[in-house]
Amino acid sequence: MTDTSQIRNFCIIAHIDHGKSTLADRLLELTHAVADRDMREQYLDKMDLERERGITIKAQAVRLAYETGGLAHELNLIDTPGHVDFTYEVSRSLAACEGAVLLVDAAQGIEAQTLANYHLARDAGLTIVPVLNKIDLPAADVEGTTAELAELVGCEPHEVLAVSGKTGEGVTALLETVIAKVPPPEGSGSDPLRALIFDSSFDAYRGVIAYVRVKDGVLRTRAKLHAAAARMDWEAEETGVFAPEATPVPELGPGEVGYLVTGLKDVHQVKVGDTITSQGRDRAHEPLPGYREPKPMVWSGLFPAEGGDYGALRDALDKLKLNDAALVFEPETSTALGFGFRCGFLGLLHMDIVKERLEREFDLELIATAPNVEFHVVGNAEVGVVHNPSEMPQPGTYERVEEPVVLATIITPSDFLGAVLELCQSRRGEMLDMKYLSTTRVEVHYLLPLAEIIFDFFDQLKSRTKGYASLDYESWGYEPSELVRVDVLLHGEPVDAFSSVVHRDKAYQYGRAMTERLRELIPRQLFDVAIQASIGSRIIARETVKAKRKDVLAKCYGGDITRKRKLLEQQKKGKARMRRVGKVDVPQDAFIAALRVDQKAEAKK
Amino acid sequence: MSVGVYVHVPFCLTRCGYCDFNAYAGLHHLASRYVRALVAEASLAAPVWDREEVVSVFLGGGTPTTLEVENLASVLAHLRDSFDLTSNAEVTIEANPDTVDRPKLAALLEAGYERLSMGAQSFDPSVLASLERVHAPDAVRRALSDARAVGYANVSLDVIYGAEGETLDSWERTLRETTDLEPEHVSAYALTVEPSTPLGRKIAAGLVPAPDPDLQADMFALACEVLGGAGYVHYEISNWAKPGYECLHNLGYWERRPYAGLGAGAHSYRDDRRWWNVRPPLEYLERVESGSLPIGGEERLQPSDAHLEEVFLRLRILEGIPASWVEPERSAPFLESGLLEDRGGVLVPTERGMLLLNELVLALAG
Repeated sequence: MTDTSQIRNFCIIAHIDHGKSTLADRLLELTHAVADRDMREQYLDKMDLERERGITIKAQAVRLAYETGGLAHELNLIDTPGHVDFTYEVSRSLAACEGAVLLVDAAQGIEAQTLANYHLARDAGLTIVPVLNKIDLPAADVEGTTAELAELVGCEPHEVLAVSGKTGEGVTALLETVIAKVPPPEGSGSDPLRALIFDSSFDAYRGVIAYVRVKDGVLRTRAKLHAAAARMDWEAEETGVFAPEATPVPELGPGEVGYLVTGLKDVHQVKVGDTITSQGRDRAHEPLPGYREPKPMVWSGLFPAEGGDYGALRDALDKLKLNDAALVFEPETSTALGFGFRCGFLGLLHMDIVKERLEREFDLELIATAPNVEFHVVGNAEVGVVHNPSEMPQPGTYERVEEPVVLATIITPSDFLGAVLELCQSRRGEMLDMKYLSTTRVEVHYLLPLAEIIFDFFDQLKSRTKGYASLDYESWGYEPSELVRVDVLLHGEPVDAFSSVVHRDKAYQYGRAMTERLRELIPRQLFDVAIQASIGSRIIARETVKAKRKDVLAKCYGGDITRKRKLLEQQKKGKARMRRVGKVDVPQDAFIAALRVDQKAEAKK
Repeated sequence: MSVGVYVHVPFCLTRCGYCDFNAYAGLHHLASRYVRALVAEASLAAPVWDREEVVSVFLGGGTPTTLEVENLASVLAHLRDSFDLTSNAEVTIEANPDTVDRPKLAALLEAGYERLSMGAQSFDPSVLASLERVHAPDAVRRALSDARAVGYANVSLDVIYGAEGETLDSWERTLRETTDLEPEHVSAYALTVEPSTPLGRKIAAGLVPAPDPDLQADMFALACEVLGGAGYVHYEISNWAKPGYECLHNLGYWERRPYAGLGAGAHSYRDDRRWWNVRPPLEYLERVESGSLPIGGEERLQPSDAHLEEVFLRLRILEGIPASWVEPERSAPFLESGLLEDRGGVLVPTERGMLLLNELVLALAG
């Protein structure tokens, strides 16, 4: 157990690609945490997905030993995800720290994600250490970015450190500054135990492993524990620290960060943000503040491309859920896509990650419906919650619909300001304010419906600003909106997978775009197929796939018969694989293509 | 059972861009070797067909008339020696206008090739050019008048519709020119694009538009109208004949009578077994010259295969299939929508139904 005065708990907050993982690698080297031969790039990002995408999905906590001024220090670096989808998880990681290194790429400057996480850290009362990274780059604007950063955190420019995670320049000074400036943790070993769970993982052999920060008291191996929010009792099968590999220690004292093997088999019993205390009379009276249940923001139907894979998809989701407490799902039956699951995600990135893991780790081929937000349907003094556009009641049966709105922060070079404002306006945005960070960069705040954000907004923002603008957002609550459900009908039969809830002003555009696309994708049948878009019983767009007139082999002589028979058998198999909507045969590819363009192309018109 | 004998001649003067037959330009130096091999193969294969009556012989290709007439005569003479040809057997030879003149036609008729199937393809020069056919429209007229002059009384013309540049008007002119020449038989084929052909690759690369199936459907209807109006009976999807001049040999395929195939890549069929010769001409030559049958593969039809073939082949011709083969609820929608007709207990596709035959087969053969 280390004396609290020698402990420093800190995290690094940075925008994607600003060099957080590389800096962490240098810290590991400098403190000899990893033997040279075991060192690899992005050491702390363990998942393939994290390494490929350069993002952090799961939090990590690593203990570093560093001696300075004749004193051995225990530094706990908590590597957090930075993405908006994981804001709650970030806030819990921040709550485990006393200080934050605010890392900014000297060539890129402050980005929206930097700001969002900076505000979270400041609100959590953390000491901020402003640091400029990548000063070795030729494009680095050390002076300009230093000024921006000093302005943001309210310090003198000389207090902003300059490092290069790549060359290691300035990293020692950074460690010294963290020790000098970040306060040691408070808390007493004699108080009742209170430890914060800031993340968890699932190990097939050992069960759920909780990542904890002890606030008060001592967490001992074999201690009888109680989790406040989960209302669960369990025993600490093992306590330990990541140094950086898991290393058992007999106890974790106040201020220390480490792990706890719970032996539990269900990750939902170990909730991020929960407080662990002792059982019985040593139980703490007050849990730590800030616990929240994970709340899905984005929903999508996931269906196996092969109908027979439903069971495999269910098993895969069950397994993923062991490791991902934020993932929720319920069975869904679609007339068009068959049996699948309506899944709730923290955001688009979370959705992408889950989909990719299902396909990659479980070898499934999936069809995903266009993502949608959760709508609140208000009427008769009741609020109905709708996760699936096809379950949205018809107009006239309710008082109003409310949709989630977010406060979006966009930072853009001023050259692209016009394009950014235009995009936000076209997405039903309401501008709150605008501020020049420097003569060339602007920070804009908008209230935007979340539904607009999840619909291709980020890609649009990037393409309109040549990739320079950055976006972050936070929840702003629900607001009433003129939303309607648009259905798509094939030969009079609604196709539930294509139903969408859109703003009244965009309903016609959506209906027309979907019907036009489906006309291209649906093969000709033996009869004219009407493709219609409707609001309630009102048709707002219509296209027709004309009946097919010719499907015959012109020549069929002695040498053609075998091949012809095989072609017919192929054609028959193809037909059997098609999905039937009423009388209309639709190839699976058409569904996939229609859903894909729905997600990608709509706003590009 | 009456048997048909098919003889494949894989040589052509030039290779047309749309053609996916087993045919080659520039192999003509193999011609006399090939004829010897055909003769040898006939002797090898004949015992299989020992007691069968041969009612038709068909020399197809390729372009059989690229061979010398003496060679062609000797092939037929040898077939008569090896097989039991009936006295009135139908003997057809395919010809291109550029490969026949009056003396050659006279000699072919003399040798016993009494039915002439001429590849006219189109009477529109621009359509002929887009099909990469080397002859001029006049060549067809000349060849046909030569054939008549030497005494041919059973001539068929092949025409193709839907090539690039073809319009309903140009197709109608081709049809009228065709009927004006008064052949006994007309085959009119929708141009079919096979991916492996030069045309298929051009279309895939976007250099040439794919045939428009709706326009081809209109052209089919026009062919039915013009040819029907000129007294031809529409007896198979792509074939019309003056009464009594239906091609007996080809009807054999659709009626599932046995057939013997000789030559590179030729297929044979008998008793629900189908087998085929190796395709490359050189390999075919080597196999036959070494004294063995040049069989490249075979299949035995399962009852379900045989049923599917029976349905799709018989629906191509007026014979149709017995209504009792199909559960009424399967055929009802097609009878109702006018794709199928019930002619006294026999289901026959209508003109519209013929164009959608694949759909009919899939629904009816279940």
